[in-house]
Amino acid sequence: MAAKGIKSNDKHILNLAAIVGGERSILYQKEDLVAYDCDGFTLHKHLPKAVVFPKNAQEVARLVKYCSDNHLPFLARGAGTGLSGGAIPLNGEVIISLVRMKRLLNVDLENRRAVVEPGFVNLKLTNSISDKGYYYAPDPSSQYCCTIGGNVAENAGGAHCLKYGVTTNHILGLEVVLPNGEIIEIGKNGIPDSPGYDLLGLLTGSEGTLGIVTKITVRILKNPEAKQTVLAYFDKVSDGSQAVSDIVSAGIVPAALEMMDKIAIEGVEAAAFPVGHPRDIEAVLLIEVDGISAGIEEQINQILEVCKKRNVREVKVAQDEQERGRWWANRKTGFGAMGAISPDYLVQDGVIPRSRLPEVLERINKISEDYGLRIANIFHAGDGNLHPLVLFDARIPGESEKALKAGSACLQVCADVGGTITGEHGVGIEKREEMRFVFKDEEIIAQTNIREVFNPDNLLNAGKLFPSPGRCVEIKTEMKAAASR
Amino acid sequence: MSLKEMALKQSPACGSGSLGNYLWSDPPDESKWADCVHCGMCLESCPTYEQTGMEQHSPRGRVYLIKSVAEGKLEVNEQFMDPVFACLDCRACTTACPADVDVGGLIEEARGQIRQAMPLTGVKGAVNKFFLKGLFPNHNRLNAVGSLLKFYQKSGIQKVVHKTGLINIMPQHLVDMEAIMPEVKEPVRKKYKHEPVIKAKGETKNEVGFLTGCVMDVMFSDINQSTINVLTRNGNDVVIPQNQTCCGALHIHAGDRETGRKLAKQNIEAFQDVETVVVNAAGCGCMMQEYAELFREDPEWREKAEAFSAKVEDISKYLHDTGYEKPKGEINTRITYHDACHLAHGQGIRQQPRDLLLDIPGVDMVHMPNADRCCGSAGIYNITNPEMAGAVLESKMENVPDDVEMISMGNPGCMLQMAMGVKKYGRNQKIVHTIQLLDWAYQKGEAAVNKEGK
Repeated sequence: MAAKGIKSNDKHILNLAAIVGGERSILYQKEDLVAYDCDGFTLHKHLPKAVVFPKNAQEVARLVKYCSDNHLPFLARGAGTGLSGGAIPLNGEVIISLVRMKRLLNVDLENRRAVVEPGFVNLKLTNSISDKGYYYAPDPSSQYCCTIGGNVAENAGGAHCLKYGVTTNHILGLEVVLPNGEIIEIGKNGIPDSPGYDLLGLLTGSEGTLGIVTKITVRILKNPEAKQTVLAYFDKVSDGSQAVSDIVSAGIVPAALEMMDKIAIEGVEAAAFPVGHPRDIEAVLLIEVDGISAGIEEQINQILEVCKKRNVREVKVAQDEQERGRWWANRKTGFGAMGAISPDYLVQDGVIPRSRLPEVLERINKISEDYGLRIANIFHAGDGNLHPLVLFDARIPGESEKALKAGSACLQVCADVGGTITGEHGVGIEKREEMRFVFKDEEIIAQTNIREVFNPDNLLNAGKLFPSPGRCVEIKTEMKAAASR
Repeated sequence: MSLKEMALKQSPACGSGSLGNYLWSDPPDESKWADCVHCGMCLESCPTYEQTGMEQHSPRGRVYLIKSVAEGKLEVNEQFMDPVFACLDCRACTTACPADVDVGGLIEEARGQIRQAMPLTGVKGAVNKFFLKGLFPNHNRLNAVGSLLKFYQKSGIQKVVHKTGLINIMPQHLVDMEAIMPEVKEPVRKKYKHEPVIKAKGETKNEVGFLTGCVMDVMFSDINQSTINVLTRNGNDVVIPQNQTCCGALHIHAGDRETGRKLAKQNIEAFQDVETVVVNAAGCGCMMQEYAELFREDPEWREKAEAFSAKVEDISKYLHDTGYEKPKGEINTRITYHDACHLAHGQGIRQQPRDLLLDIPGVDMVHMPNADRCCGSAGIYNITNPEMAGAVLESKMENVPDDVEMISMGNPGCMLQMAMGVKKYGRNQKIVHTIQLLDWAYQKGEAAVNKEGK
């Protein structure tokens, strides 16, 4: 029988193993499961019941049906790089890992679309079509390793979303296994905008609470004819952020417009991809413009002009692709780089009106002082998506809890100035409670009612995305307990 | 009896050095995993994660498990051993990691603990002991094996074994290896036994020590000869200290840090009179640059090890930094270059060997995709984990361009593994060490000059 070699008497383990074809496609022993007790968000941890590795949609459907019939909680996981805890098995779920479903199924250049399995890594898509002059636009910083399935679940963004939009703007069709085990297709043949409700839009960014995606049709784009990248160093954050506003109001839509503050610079310069940013500046801007060749030069000149007007200390244009690559590697590994200056970090994901940045940074600075924790800021400045990185040491009793509170306080600031609590990382476990900063109870209930249509027994990824109404106090206690673990 | 009780009974060498469920001295270094923030940027760099998709077979997962043992959440047992020993030690994750986490160092330290908690027994133990303790550190025995191999190849026994089907009784992965064993020649250490300094041709600019290596000198003595030729041609006096020994990499990869330390001490002393130690095997060079890691609890030797490591240089970097004569002889060939893990990821040497090759007239370099992806050799990994090594080799071979005649690289383990790949997948590339090509180009240039002169 297929469950040969399984050292367990648990009938569920044996049955799940039989569905995926045996011992090489299931993990159920503690030593193996420990590695799955969290994802890129490490403040909550829980062991899953098992991890299974299906090969195709049919196996996913059978696994889902089995779990559903037997009332076993379950969830889907990609590369586990999510930053809000969406793949953490809070309820001892069976984890359905999609990483072995990693084929590029079809590339249709004529219609500019590609079909991938959910475990296909984001950057591999661009790498597979770049020689033909095409690319896949959404570029989260984790694109070297995150999966497109995970990107769909979280509606991932990235540095170039300012001009090109987030994942949902690039999804043309999905094959989905519903929580009852049924396989459905949305956006058939990659033709979007079907009549009726926008289910693609609903599924994308649903954080794995409505279904498990098993096939994705994405839009691919032609490489821009030309590209130029600029680095600008500012002595004052206010000048830097004013420059951001000026660039946008000058009518330029940069492909990317990124900012890092002093502590963030300290981190990336101490880590694996330093580029020699001065340490005594308050802000660095990384600006990229792309499009047809004619006009790029003019845009760059305009940007240089704006920066000078805002007292830039130094500004330079990347001389070649290598230099550009180094600047981006420095920025894109920014989160992980915090490991070089702090044992742990908690990244927040607020969105604010661009113009309020100096004020927001000042208030975050105050939070940092109040909690006695350093906070670095990495900012998709162009679209107002702020990532405060709260640095802490989980080994010091009480510090994890303080970090959570400081992070939450940062989000409160974002909500206060008319922004919101997440731009691209999702709510997950991390920001469930902060949903209350932006939604009333009735609004939350309206949304969980939608969930119930798809996921009536709430066996799929329960406890994510929304606070349970009236459980506010309990959740806080849970967070506290988790933080002290 | 629990593991803890057993350990206490055996009274570890330095009980005070233990950490969580690591009960022996020299445990994995907490400050190394403190840098890991669990971001996952390492995942795609890892060949074993690529093959399995399993988190515990990824760098992030391994670091997490190693940390969990220190926190007392897991014990040192079979289930923990599996992912830690399945690591190829290729260091690709070190290149990928934004926070410079020393995953390789942690793996080696964890292996040291595992080997002490669970000593190898039975056949595995005997084989390990034979190769690692009896053979590699013992120069004479290695030579004897070399002679036997030579006898095996020359005497016709090899033919008989193949004809009679006797070869079929060997496990398949050993059959694959046997088929590509290079022809054994005289080791340079034997050849130059009575020549304490091999003088530079022409004016002496530098004096360098040369690590002849264990496997290298027995199986690939012609590469060692080429290295000496290239060094002396470029104004270097070459010293081959006779009391040098195996670098210890294989022992340390296998968790035998005690023997590793012994060998390290011997090499540190053997090379104390030279300013530079040139190495032509990436794995050995990388190991010798990390000797200090072995002496974390011994400040005196740590200092000596640090001074020693600073002297160690790979041949390609040494030539690149000190300058070399551009060869004049043409080698008309299409060639591709494979980055040995312990050159690219271990020592950050990528461009220097490529530049050497590009300086040879006639060489047409073809880019190999994922050139810095492990080939699966990984020391003796291909012997201990043949299945995984085979899978890793298969993806490597898929990346070798079709129309090249040679694959060049800077590490003997890779050379054997890639030769096996070429044979197994019906390809016809020749496997060469970068320095051999340079030597041949010099020789061809000379031959041309001599001809003209006549």
